[in-house]
Amino acid sequence: MQTPLPSPVPVLRLPRGPEGLSRGFAPDGRRALLKPEVPGTPESPVVHECQESQEQRARALLRERYLRSLLAMVGRQVSFTLHEGVHVTAHFGATDVEVANFYVLQLQTPIGVQAEALLRCSDIIAYTFKL
Amino acid sequence: MAMRQTPLTCSGHTRPVVDLAFSGITPYGYFLISACKDGKPMLRQGDTGDWIGTFLGHKGAVWGATLNKDATKAATAAADFTAKVWDAVSGDELMTLAHKHIVKSVDFTQDSNYLLTAGQDKLLRIYDLNKPEAEPKEISGHTSGIKKALWCSEDKQILSADDKTVRLWDHATMTEVKSLSFNMSVSSMEYIPEGEILVITYGRSIAFHSAVSLELIKSFETPATINSASLHPEKEFLVAGGEDFKLYKYDYNSGEELESYKGHFGPIHCVRFSPDGELYASGSEDGTLRLWQTVVGKTYGLWKCVLPEEDSGELAKPKISFPETTEEELEEIASENSDSIYSSTPEVKA
Repeated sequence: MQTPLPSPVPVLRLPRGPEGLSRGFAPDGRRALLKPEVPGTPESPVVHECQESQEQRARALLRERYLRSLLAMVGRQVSFTLHEGVHVTAHFGATDVEVANFYVLQLQTPIGVQAEALLRCSDIIAYTFKL
Repeated sequence: MAMRQTPLTCSGHTRPVVDLAFSGITPYGYFLISACKDGKPMLRQGDTGDWIGTFLGHKGAVWGATLNKDATKAATAAADFTAKVWDAVSGDELMTLAHKHIVKSVDFTQDSNYLLTAGQDKLLRIYDLNKPEAEPKEISGHTSGIKKALWCSEDKQILSADDKTVRLWDHATMTEVKSLSFNMSVSSMEYIPEGEILVITYGRSIAFHSAVSLELIKSFETPATINSASLHPEKEFLVAGGEDFKLYKYDYNSGEELESYKGHFGPIHCVRFSPDGELYASGSEDGTLRLWQTVVGKTYGLWKCVLPEEDSGELAKPKISFPETTEEELEEIASENSDSIYSSTPEVKA
């Protein structure tokens, strides 16, 4: 039987390239928030945005940072603080789309080590990991 | 069923890409800087390859580029006899450091307080970035132009490579501690802090040395002259590229060649793994940067599993197993989606 030709991995889109002659580094880009706000400087004109879109941008930024923090956590040892003073540690694998469950490996519980487990996020009070 | 690697091509440069570097992992993801003979180094989002900005200012080919750990600063080394330090958020030039010849290599310390530069003037220079007007400390000793200089051992030592030697220097005393000699030209050097490993390429060899003692750990031979190699953060794989335009992937432990990929239209000058090991980037004489998946078929960055839409008749639906876990195991532990990857009709140009 002939081996079927492997299909190429699908991609969402191609990487974005430079925009014309612009040098980029969008002033309203997300990382621009790293720069401390200095009111009235000639380089950064004050932009009047409606409250709602400012809030929406902040929310989007925080959401992206959280998702990136989850990405950074993959494969790392994480300590979870659960209800009733229970502490467990495990290697983080993945989360589902609603962040309702965490798929973890080598979950160390007071009653033994579980090779694979799903932690219900509603049971988690806090978690920490080292980058 | 195995999937075929879809490299992501990052266009924008107009001349050969000679160096590239990733930042560390930051709250905004990680970033990639590319050095190009067109004199215009570019900053890109590391996991997608999306262009963010171009550092404008150099008047000659840029031979080396690097980012500091949190990607707030960039440094570039150029043929215009300068090294420049940039604000990597705004793209503004912060400092121009004049040298007496072509500068080839730049490297920040972990705390971004010092910049190490090296080049054709055969000197290593250490600039205090908090005192830009102060003269840099200079270390001499190399007898040919320096191609690469890197901080190592928590910035207490410096590793530098010229044409035929690799030298280890003590930062505090500014003296040479050890050196290695090669009878072939050293093409590249990479330092891995975790495990203190030094990856050196020369001729068709990829050699791994201890960064502390410079002793040889192991070496591999490849089918072609290799210009650059990179070791995966978990030290499972290494990737290498060179004069035959192909990218090679090896198992680090066994030395077995796992894969080779065609794609570039010119020799590959630089290869680097991302800080999370999920992809590697290659820069070529053909003026492009390409991003390659470490685990082919995994959902990451722009490589996505496409969920089947009811109305979209184009999507083919062969079920493909997630590389590490079998379909059956996934069904047991997943609550809803089975994590199958569906392939679409291949429209993307590799």
